[in-house]
Amino acid sequence: MDQRIVQFIAALRAQGVRVSLAESKDAFDAINEMGIQDREHFRVSLRSTLVKDANDQPAFDELFPLFFQTDQPPAFSNPMQNLTPEQAKELANSLRKFTQQLRQMLEKLMQGKPLSQEELRQLGDLVNLDEVSDMRFQEWKSRQMEQALQFREVQQALEELMEMLRQMGMDKDSMEQMREQLEGNQQSIQDQIRQFVGQRIMENMAQQTRQEKLDGLYNRPFNSLSEEDMRLLQKEVRRLAAILRTRLALRLKRAKGGQLDVKSTMRANVKYGYVPVELKRRDHTLKPRIVILCDISTSMRHCSELMLSLLFAIQDQISKTHAFAYIDHLEYISPDLNTRQPTEAVSQVLQRMPSGHYNTDLGFSLENLNRDYLDTIDPHSTFIIVGDGRNNYNDPHLDTFRLLTRRSRATIWLNPETVSLWGTGDSDMLKYAPFCSRAFQVSNLGQLATAIDHLLLNQ
Amino acid sequence: MDENHRFRSPQELKNALAKQMYIASNEISTILYLSQQLGKPLLAEGPAGVGKTELAKALASATGRQLIRLQCYEGLDETKALYEWEYAKQLLYTQLLRDKLQETLSSAGSLKEAADKIAAEEDVFFSMRFLLQRPLLRAILSDEPTVLLVDEIDRADAEFEAFLLEVLSDFQVSVPELGTLAAIHHPLVVLTSNNTRELSEALKRRCLYLFIDYPSIEQELAVVRMKVPELAPKMAQQAVELVHRLRGLDLRKAPSISETLDWAKALVTLNAHNLDETTLESTLSVLLKHEADLQRARKKLTSSSSSPVRRWDDTDQWRRSN
Repeated sequence: MDQRIVQFIAALRAQGVRVSLAESKDAFDAINEMGIQDREHFRVSLRSTLVKDANDQPAFDELFPLFFQTDQPPAFSNPMQNLTPEQAKELANSLRKFTQQLRQMLEKLMQGKPLSQEELRQLGDLVNLDEVSDMRFQEWKSRQMEQALQFREVQQALEELMEMLRQMGMDKDSMEQMREQLEGNQQSIQDQIRQFVGQRIMENMAQQTRQEKLDGLYNRPFNSLSEEDMRLLQKEVRRLAAILRTRLALRLKRAKGGQLDVKSTMRANVKYGYVPVELKRRDHTLKPRIVILCDISTSMRHCSELMLSLLFAIQDQISKTHAFAYIDHLEYISPDLNTRQPTEAVSQVLQRMPSGHYNTDLGFSLENLNRDYLDTIDPHSTFIIVGDGRNNYNDPHLDTFRLLTRRSRATIWLNPETVSLWGTGDSDMLKYAPFCSRAFQVSNLGQLATAIDHLLLNQ
Repeated sequence: MDENHRFRSPQELKNALAKQMYIASNEISTILYLSQQLGKPLLAEGPAGVGKTELAKALASATGRQLIRLQCYEGLDETKALYEWEYAKQLLYTQLLRDKLQETLSSAGSLKEAADKIAAEEDVFFSMRFLLQRPLLRAILSDEPTVLLVDEIDRADAEFEAFLLEVLSDFQVSVPELGTLAAIHHPLVVLTSNNTRELSEALKRRCLYLFIDYPSIEQELAVVRMKVPELAPKMAQQAVELVHRLRGLDLRKAPSISETLDWAKALVTLNAHNLDETTLESTLSVLLKHEADLQRARKKLTSSSSSPVRRWDDTDQWRRSN
């Protein structure tokens, strides 16, 4: 049982649920306390100790039955027992007409026998079940196994068998009853297969470690990522932002040096009889404020989804964030990011602003910002542009850009292109760059992490 | 229940909560029981108004323990959560006792002797007498076992969370002037969160996690029956079904259980006999607190008043809004 729980925890981790060592110990403590007799108690014990995020609970609910299903296969019924001896004889006669393999299968159905573990394993080997470690393949692999069992042929054979029995003069009621039970048994075998496939996939997943996947991702360029990788990355970005937030909070806590704080000075000097020996000052209130512009045009398409989820994460962590997206003009997207779940918010923005062909116009978007949202930028805010600076030979409006950078505390540019491409073709990057406090190349997660680190900590 | 107020099974806990007019699901009672057995804090998360705070209150009265509540807000720090010296009182005492101090000092021959004398009296001024106990310290020092409710922890700053971790892990506090104060009884700790921000991994790791969702129609009906028995059963049924339909709409803030109860009470007060349009019109604002929501609900309710009530996935709804 312990082994099973350890496997289960590994599978949870493989699904992206963060389970620490301390938490798995808690799970065992909880089970010691509650016992494993009551399935519901057992489930609740595991869930409350292992899953600490409401968004991860569906993953748990999906995995739990796969691991702790009672090993009993689904219910099978035995249609043979209701038959009179003559009817049974007729049946046996009819069965003889089928080939060896079909007959075995039919007999199984007739007698209501589940597949043995050995049979399941053989079937699994037949369809290379060991190489699969993604739940999405459960249906597919199950169907392959059914094919290997010649399910369709069995189906036909059943029909034929029924026809034969009818010709032999079996009465309608018992035929109908038998048909129902046979179909029930067939369904049960299908369920059994599905269950087996699910378990095996989970076990495979549990053996794969999550970390190695991520390490590879860390240095892979954004434009060569699959959808699955992207999902992983988005998760990682969120986590990164959360960690940085705590670090930032600590830094803000330590950064003193503002006005004299009378209350805490008095408190600190109680031990000197209120003679102010130690002076306490108010926190240096340097909470980050961010105005962020994100290019989601065609040239940025491969990473705009990721960048938008980065915006989402930043907005989640830093309350004073104003987010804008632009292609040929500017749109204020903070409200979209505020009210929804990350993936949904991102796809909503991308839907609302479909990218056209060669219509990026950063200059005009900057004008927009200058005209409509200038109040969002003040000397406390950091101005961030995420984009490749490719302007389709439109007016870059450098004067506006210069004005905006002067208004803000710092200007940071995150560019997914490699530095050697800056300024080539329609890229105005080199024209903009002199006005920025820092410009970073962010073409993979490692660089992005460095840039965010800089953004939050060294401003 | 023995004298330590310990429950022997989840079922017993559930019954005790029911006596306090709190209908707990099996999941809630099992996790609470685990939290008692393992001595771990319970982190209850879920949409606003599903009875997270109520749970802690019911637990306190079920165990006969005192409830100590720490309401979190942005800017909460240890002087407000843990302890503070009462400077004013200390100053006042020094003033009042000046003569006595003079007297003590007058017998001293040298400066050193006088200083020693004052040092000997130091304990008077740095004693529990002048220590203003805030909720956390009260929970630690209480002679009686208590229930500590840390309400809406997500509203506090991340650094307060880190500080809370230390306190919750070993239930002791060191006050530099007094030394280390350790808990006499481990309080039962319940933290609640509306998930307005992600809590730190470290905090979550130390807690048992309970997600309380909007209840099913049957559960909510049971709650309404118990808390507002005056409402006619048929009306109650209709009202709860309507609330569930409202939760299915894409509203800025879905009605919570407490709002359902308020509404039920309003219906009783108005002596309403059925949920017709005029009744709805006049009472809907008890359920919905945004003008946009109200308008939306009115439009939906009048356009499809005959359609059957469907159970929507409220959890998804809530997750989306966070």
